[in-house]
Amino acid sequence: MKSGNKTIIGLKKAVSSHDRQYLQFCLRAAFEEGAGLNDIKSAMISGLEGVKARLMSNDFSIPEFLLCVDTVTSGLNEISGMKDYSSTDKGIRLVIGTVDGEPHDLGKNIIAAVYRAAGYDVLDLGRQVASDLFVREVINNDAKILALSAMMSTTAPAIKDIIVEINIKSPHTVVLAGGACLDRALSENYGADGFAESAVTVLEETQKALQNQARTKDT
Amino acid sequence: MVFAAARRLIGSTYRKFALDPEVAADAQIAAADFLGRKDGIFSGWTDLSVEASDFGQKIIYPEESTPHPDYSKPLIADVIGYSKVKRIDIKKAERMQGVLEMQRILKQKARGPMIGGFCFGPLGVLGMMRGTEHLFRDCLRYPDKVKTGLDIISDVLAEYVAAQCDNGACMITLDTLYASWAGLSKRLWEEIEGPFVKKLSGIIRSKGRMVGVHNCGQGAYFDSQIKYMKPDNISFAYLPDDCSSPSELKRKYGHKVTLTGYVSTALLMHGTPFDVTRECNRIIKELAHGGNFVLAPQCEFPPDAPLENAIAMVKAARYCPETLSD
Repeated sequence: MKSGNKTIIGLKKAVSSHDRQYLQFCLRAAFEEGAGLNDIKSAMISGLEGVKARLMSNDFSIPEFLLCVDTVTSGLNEISGMKDYSSTDKGIRLVIGTVDGEPHDLGKNIIAAVYRAAGYDVLDLGRQVASDLFVREVINNDAKILALSAMMSTTAPAIKDIIVEINIKSPHTVVLAGGACLDRALSENYGADGFAESAVTVLEETQKALQNQARTKDT
Repeated sequence: MVFAAARRLIGSTYRKFALDPEVAADAQIAAADFLGRKDGIFSGWTDLSVEASDFGQKIIYPEESTPHPDYSKPLIADVIGYSKVKRIDIKKAERMQGVLEMQRILKQKARGPMIGGFCFGPLGVLGMMRGTEHLFRDCLRYPDKVKTGLDIISDVLAEYVAAQCDNGACMITLDTLYASWAGLSKRLWEEIEGPFVKKLSGIIRSKGRMVGVHNCGQGAYFDSQIKYMKPDNISFAYLPDDCSSPSELKRKYGHKVTLTGYVSTALLMHGTPFDVTRECNRIIKELAHGGNFVLAPQCEFPPDAPLENAIAMVKAARYCPETLSD
């Protein structure tokens, strides 16, 4: 059974107002209405999309965005324990982390949350991740995407080394780079397939990189 | 502009540069000689971890990278922790004393008379002790608790900036990173950190020194920072939140503050001197007309970037038509 329009709007509103209690209320209402897990998941993700748009237009700040992400994550955690959850769309497998020596993970955490909320299957390796661990986890999990973050100019060169290895050992994996010390030119110089400038643009950039890769395969 | 990168000129590690005032001073003097500016402003500063370290935050000092907090051991582990921040005596604060000592050594040894001072803003210091992500959430959920911590920290920083002024620093730069789109909302920043940096700026001014602001966040709030700190100089990495072009930035703020920026970190790391010169010329053309402009990197000159690119910046500033005509 489809959930009511009111419940869907409620779920979106709970996300945009980062109100976890209201989200719980709406989730209960959606379950009672017999809403499908995919619909519930889509409603929460769509709520976060709206928040992202407001962040882009300076109507929302990063701290508010973080609280909205927390709200979606709590909702996703709640439904992920349900027995039908395994039948929901799993999403594209993605590995993410900050490179070796890089302790600053705020940006990476925001990006990971955005990916998760957008339905990607995220494996977050955390911060200061050894280069060979990135490569190993990409191969072991057959990841379609690898997202690498470096905030300091002293740690950024590790991105290049990881990409060299990935291109040899898992050439089908798309690599995105991001962080304060990078720009598009430097990311390309390192061999990345895309540059994640911010949480606002990362999903579009990822889609573009995936499409480019598909095109390259076709030709 | 060349801080930690200068360590390479004297064969020092980053760790030594951060922890040994003599080494840091020697590196600065070597950089000034290398860049051919014997009458330049010397940076009396090493890195952003100085203040948080003295409050008791555990800092990691990699041999060849920037010192940073051990984020697995934050000094402020929960919101209660803000009220537990201890007021410290700066005379016993090892790292702040190290910076003050470095400034004294520079004054004695250097041929140039001017030394710049630096202080990480109180919210930045708190971010190092709590972790930025938690701090951001706390600013929204528990602003009063955050302010309790800021109150104690800014009292100590007030003594620290006063000591730098007394040391002879001509300008003290306050780093207010979170006054930007990448940090707090404008309203929240003005509520949370604005009043505290206003106090620090007032102390610097009362000592007859200039106030500088450094903010390398995206979409920095120039209007709010000017409102609270009345700076002489703003060093920036990106256009402010209320300007859509460099010409608008110049028109709106060029007569209020000296604009300082904004050569890309990425370009300095991997561009050639030719690329850097071309970019410097572009920026000079955009922002130098009429004066009130200092060519500088977006943030500090990248610690491992080729030093030829620093020379390219100095040459571009020295020989471009805009500079010569002014």
